[in-house]
Amino acid sequence: MSPRPKTDHLRKPQIVAAAAEVLYERGLFDTRVGDIAERAGTSAGTIMYYFESKDRLLEEAVDHTDQQFYERVSEGLEEHDSAGAKLVHLVEETSLGPGGLTDWTLWMEIWVRVRRSPELRASYPRLDRRQRGLIERIVREGQESGEFEGEVDPGDVALGLSALMDGLGVQLTLGQPDVTRERMVDRCLAMASRELGCELRRNGRVPAQRGGTG
Amino acid sequence: MTETQGGRERILAAAVDRIASDGIDGVRIARIAMDAGVSTALVHYHFATREALLGEALEYSFEHAGDLRIGDEGEPAADAATHAERLTRMVEHCLPSSASLERDWVLWVELWLRAVRHPELRPTSERLYARMREWFAAAISAGVEAGEFADCDAEAVADRALALVDGFGIRALLGDSEVSLDRARREVGGVLAKELGIGEQLPFPQVRA
Repeated sequence: MSPRPKTDHLRKPQIVAAAAEVLYERGLFDTRVGDIAERAGTSAGTIMYYFESKDRLLEEAVDHTDQQFYERVSEGLEEHDSAGAKLVHLVEETSLGPGGLTDWTLWMEIWVRVRRSPELRASYPRLDRRQRGLIERIVREGQESGEFEGEVDPGDVALGLSALMDGLGVQLTLGQPDVTRERMVDRCLAMASRELGCELRRNGRVPAQRGGTG
Repeated sequence: MTETQGGRERILAAAVDRIASDGIDGVRIARIAMDAGVSTALVHYHFATREALLGEALEYSFEHAGDLRIGDEGEPAADAATHAERLTRMVEHCLPSSASLERDWVLWVELWLRAVRHPELRPTSERLYARMREWFAAAISAGVEAGEFADCDAEAVADRALALVDGFGIRALLGDSEVSLDRARREVGGVLAKELGIGEQLPFPQVRA
């Protein structure tokens, strides 16, 4: 029995990052494992050793890009003291629009596949909870500090805002001319303000365009 | 309609059905030909490549889905007694709330992805979203003018209505254990009712107060 390669810890993230790029560019159907291997500088055999299927690669790719995105957002949250400003920051960052791995393209790939892949059906809820968890945390913080209305359920607010951002995000990713980034931010902040009984305004900072910062 | 056009339509309709049941990646031309009751040669006569056929089929289904959602025949809210009831039926119609709407939803999602990958489909998606936005905005404005809804920015509320049915609809479609169809109705209905000043919830017959 051959031992597992010693470079495991290096190679796996590299493959996932390459998979995210290639899947984003070409889509699941038009991506061959060999394309990902080429991008990652490894072999198709190695990739299949770690990940048994393309669906699994897609799942890991979304998990990876989302994790990176929300880590970056979480760091940004630390710059703000109030829960209100934190929530605005999250909405602004999420509304950046097409042009990077974290627009809605990879999520659309997941949505299309979930109904046909038991594997993805099992992992989809977990992936979907990440954003909601973060919103929920901020809402709870604001309720404890008295900034936000205390009667509403933080989980309900998080689900509603998450659904709204997904709906607008799809149109943003499709390049729908009506839905600009600013309009998306305004629509989301208006709903959050109403639900949380407060007045949320843009932080006024225009976040860097995605893609450039990697 | 000439016989040739009829054949073409039949092939497109069969392709749409196959995409809905098998997914766009799993679709086979021979199967579409069989479903449409034509030869594969005729399919190839109308559509040069598999890609061309699937692209056109999705565009056809997007138009069809749009017609179903808001077309004259499919208008689900024409005879509603109140503006709130009309809006409620519109929301119901935009959620995967029946077997046939669920099928449309599957195609809808395939089309999002297709339009992202193939920019030539963008004008179609633009047109459909613009139509749906106008559809919602007009229903909201009518309710405001009639004094039934509170004064509001109809365009902003329409944006939210449209985005919320998509955002909740996808979760209900995919069987998210926390987002049943009923919860999707309640959440969308709750937001809109409060925005329009008509209480806590839209009057869904299915949703208990």
